[in-house]
Amino acid sequence: MGEPRKIQVRFFAVLREQAGVSALDWETEARTATDLYGELKAKRGLTFPAGLLRVSINERYATMDTPLQAGDRVVFIPPVAGG
Amino acid sequence: MFGLTDQPIDSAALHAKLARADAGACVIFEGRVRNHHGGKPVTLLEYEAFDELARVEGAAIVEEAERAHPGSFVTCVHRTGALSIGEIAVWIGVASAHRHAGFLACRQVIEEIKRQLPVWKKEHHPGEEPQWVNCTVEVLPSRLSPENYYERQVSLPEVGPPGQTALSAADVLVAGLGGLGCPAALYLATSGVGKLTLVDVGKVEVSNLHRQVLFTADDIGAFKVAVGAARLRQHNPLVQVEGLPADVTAANVAALVTGRTAVLDCTDNFATRFLLHDACRMAGVPLISAAVYRFEGELNLFSPATPGCLHCLWSGQDAAALEAANNCSGEPVFAPTVGLMGIMQAAETLKLLLGLTPAANFKQTRLVNLLDGSTCAIERNADPACVVCGPDAVQSASAPHGVDISSVMLTAEEVIARAPLRTVALLEDGEILDAGKAPAAAIGIPVKDLAHLRALARERPTLLACRYGIRSAALARLLRREGIDQVYSLIGGLAAIHPRDSRIAADRGFRRHEILSTHEKNARDPSRNL
Ligand SMILES: [Zn+2]
Repeated sequence: MGEPRKIQVRFFAVLREQAGVSALDWETEARTATDLYGELKAKRGLTFPAGLLRVSINERYATMDTPLQAGDRVVFIPPVAGG
Repeated sequence: MFGLTDQPIDSAALHAKLARADAGACVIFEGRVRNHHGGKPVTLLEYEAFDELARVEGAAIVEEAERAHPGSFVTCVHRTGALSIGEIAVWIGVASAHRHAGFLACRQVIEEIKRQLPVWKKEHHPGEEPQWVNCTVEVLPSRLSPENYYERQVSLPEVGPPGQTALSAADVLVAGLGGLGCPAALYLATSGVGKLTLVDVGKVEVSNLHRQVLFTADDIGAFKVAVGAARLRQHNPLVQVEGLPADVTAANVAALVTGRTAVLDCTDNFATRFLLHDACRMAGVPLISAAVYRFEGELNLFSPATPGCLHCLWSGQDAAALEAANNCSGEPVFAPTVGLMGIMQAAETLKLLLGLTPAANFKQTRLVNLLDGSTCAIERNADPACVVCGPDAVQSASAPHGVDISSVMLTAEEVIARAPLRTVALLEDGEILDAGKAPAAAIGIPVKDLAHLRALARERPTLLACRYGIRSAALARLLRREGIDQVYSLIGGLAAIHPRDSRIAADRGFRRHEILSTHEKNARDPSRNL
């Protein structure tokens, strides 16, 4: 855990319904996307398993262990179902 | 072109975009909303997209398909919002020169959309809570997830979760997608090597099918890497596969190998083998190399840190043997030999990524004979005078490493354009300069007289030429690394200027098994002249 900083989080599909909102400005000390998801799970009642998620940071796919920077736009991506 | 829309998709209007005079085929895929799923009636689908990322990813998917299937032009639109039964959810149209590329490109785009595009759909069933497809508790255990796919491999104590993570972090180049490359790439993909790049300029021919197991009779005429990458993605959608329809050349080899975790040499000619070998050594990338002759196969692991390189392996050999081995097209092939050797390359690559390779393997040539069932491992010679891996080369390792190969290698035409260069013909032991085979002003220097060569190259711009352009390339790069700027190597060597020489070499009929038995003899004969 590091210094608290503001991260913009958006939710889609099953996560949006579980979070009850589509976006949050989230003040956090979470170091990585994995840490952030753990925090959101605990505080926002998300139940979707972290192991099945991908993450997008600033509109690019990234890995869950990517370190977060202040102002990052983070979207957790549940299994997709296009087509 | 890729688009997202919340309006009904107008198929006819999109169809008109595919009209091209150079397109002999037009392939269209429409994904439509159907009234049932998993045995249950469906009344409505709600599509939701992460708009910004979907546009970026969608465009990338389309571009990737167009690159993988040259001559194809893709139009793709995905719908969002609430769709009723029969409506089009995704529309893909491909205009291409030939039908094969069109079908492959279309298939690739829809499969990648299902895998990558951040779009979700919610199914509405009569009298039930709507459900997000792929996200319900029941489907999660049967999902195509790494946990499920690699279950039987991760349970090997030698692999385990850390090993599987190492495999998925790996970035491996397979050079040559023939009899060796097909099985090698297949096993690397199914084992979960995270990123695979296939490079081969060839197209599938009828005579390939008996041994190149990624291709079927339907694939004749298509680029090997396009078919191969598509097939590997079908086998394991969890890994990234890229196909480059290109030759490995002096100009692109450094870019191809730099930054890879490992490189597999599955090519069938010596010029490419040496290019890959030298580029890997320079870039610090391990190379897993195999070669076959009929019922016999040979496997070499080259570590950038271990002396005993491809140049050592061939030093002292009659260069004509190289030339004879240079032309493998049309050679008879026993399919299981290439299959086995390709799988051995995959096994060695996986072992390397998992840290399971015994150090001794980096110094060995392994020989397999399927006719008498024998296998043996021979320690490779490390030539102390080797300009690539010997002590001289080791000393120069502290000098800047990334020598741009393309700037070192010159064709005969470029040499003329760059005059005046002093030409130095490199002589093997006991060889004297044959005035009839070298440019008039050339001077002959023994290849092992590194001090003399270094002094000459420092004096003024120098072109090094050997019989086939392989040792001269290695030497030129060595001298460049030492900071001598104006030194070049003649591509193809003196044989390129005097084709008569190479024809004589081929006429002598050197054959692969003679070369293999020479290895054995050298390995057993300590008196071998280095
Ligand atoms: Zn060597």
